[in-house]
Amino acid sequence: MKHLKPINNKALKLEQAADENRIEEVVAMNSVAGCASTTDPGWEIDAFGGVSSLCQPMEADLYGCSDPCWWPAQVPDMMSTYPDWNKDAQASNDSWRNLGTVFPDDK
Amino acid sequence: MLHTATRGLAAIAILGACSFTAHAEESKALEAGHEYMVATNYPNNLHVIDLQNDSLYKTCQMPDAFGPGTVQLSPDRKIAYVLNNHYADVYGVELDSCKQVFHASITQQPGEKARSMFAFTVSHDGKELYTVANPTLMLNDHYEVKQPRLDVYATDAGMDAKPVRSFPAPRQLTIMQSGDDGTLYVAGADVYKVNVKTGKFDVLIPSRHWKRPLYSAPDVLYVWNQQTHRHDFSLLYTTAKFKDKKEDPATADYLYGFFNIDLATGKTETVDFGPLTEIYFSGMRSPKDPNLMYGVLNRLAKYDIKEKKMLQAANLDHSYYCISFNKAGNKIYLAGTFNDVAIFDADSLKQIGKIQLPGGDMAITTAQIFTR
Repeated sequence: MKHLKPINNKALKLEQAADENRIEEVVAMNSVAGCASTTDPGWEIDAFGGVSSLCQPMEADLYGCSDPCWWPAQVPDMMSTYPDWNKDAQASNDSWRNLGTVFPDDK
Repeated sequence: MLHTATRGLAAIAILGACSFTAHAEESKALEAGHEYMVATNYPNNLHVIDLQNDSLYKTCQMPDAFGPGTVQLSPDRKIAYVLNNHYADVYGVELDSCKQVFHASITQQPGEKARSMFAFTVSHDGKELYTVANPTLMLNDHYEVKQPRLDVYATDAGMDAKPVRSFPAPRQLTIMQSGDDGTLYVAGADVYKVNVKTGKFDVLIPSRHWKRPLYSAPDVLYVWNQQTHRHDFSLLYTTAKFKDKKEDPATADYLYGFFNIDLATGKTETVDFGPLTEIYFSGMRSPKDPNLMYGVLNRLAKYDIKEKKMLQAANLDHSYYCISFNKAGNKIYLAGTFNDVAIFDADSLKQIGKIQLPGGDMAITTAQIFTR
């Protein structure tokens, strides 16, 4: 972890757990509830701090990310929460304008 | 009223004709000796492309929803197993008839919701199918993340297959292939060899835990579960090679490499093949020259592995995720993302064709090329 520093609450909790020797309690919820915990560069910048290695055009990367709940903050989680998000835009290059934003339902 | 009824009957007749045509096309058997590519896309198509003439041969309709559409072929190349329905189910489709012959739900226990992150394959003899389930107990007031499990199914179990064996598995497992001796090779934090009779996982290739002096831990993101002509199991990594023990990221060399397992012998390799200058989502060694490595995302690039340098790169119309070769190794087929397959000459890296697929995005599908 020496080259990493936490920049959001989830990462802070991970660091706290490590400090308290509770790292074994931290598990990546990699599929069902909460999805990805990754902070890999992706939708904002590429691995080099630029944009040339982001997918081109960005629509090409849409369902590769929404299907496996890869960046649920940036694209809806189609694996569990919004499985029909792209029902009116099955070919993203042609019909991405039919995609909407999503918000959690009121409790 | 009569007028409406007549129109209705006519419509039914037309629908019937369409349905018959679709059925006839779906039951078109594959031809012996031909080389084919299978690829999946939205809304839930399984396409068979004939590589004799690089054209769409037929399309099988699959049940339920799409995603990820990863295909694994039975050893006799007659059945395509597809992980689909939002990573929740595996379907077996007989390629000659498009008939569904197998189904297993990744979710198996009461109260759980389970998904497989690209983690499934067929055994070397075609008799068993392996999946890794990542289960979460969905309770009223909280979730409980359960330990993943390796589930083993009999491939002749039909449409409601249940695991014949089930073992606890490490977290974060993804793609896997079956070796000729029955060993299962599974990628995760490390690459494991698994005894499918006992469920014992042993580290075969250290990845996160490798001990290469002056190297950072590798970064691996590889979910293209390809069944290669070279009969190997391979995935890409990136890493930093530091100048000295100070491990200064600013002066490190950043490298691309691959892990590889020969599925016939179990022999492993960890090989750097070039500098990290751009991102590839999938990569593959040439079937005709194992010293040539290719990678694809925004460009299609070719590397000399021994020289550790890029030889050539081609621009693409758009990003493609998934690279495949024909058996001769002279043509490259790029799939994934949108709904076209781009064809390139493997030597010149000139584009020589494009196959437009009916339906929507292939997204993160894994295409496969095989000879019937």
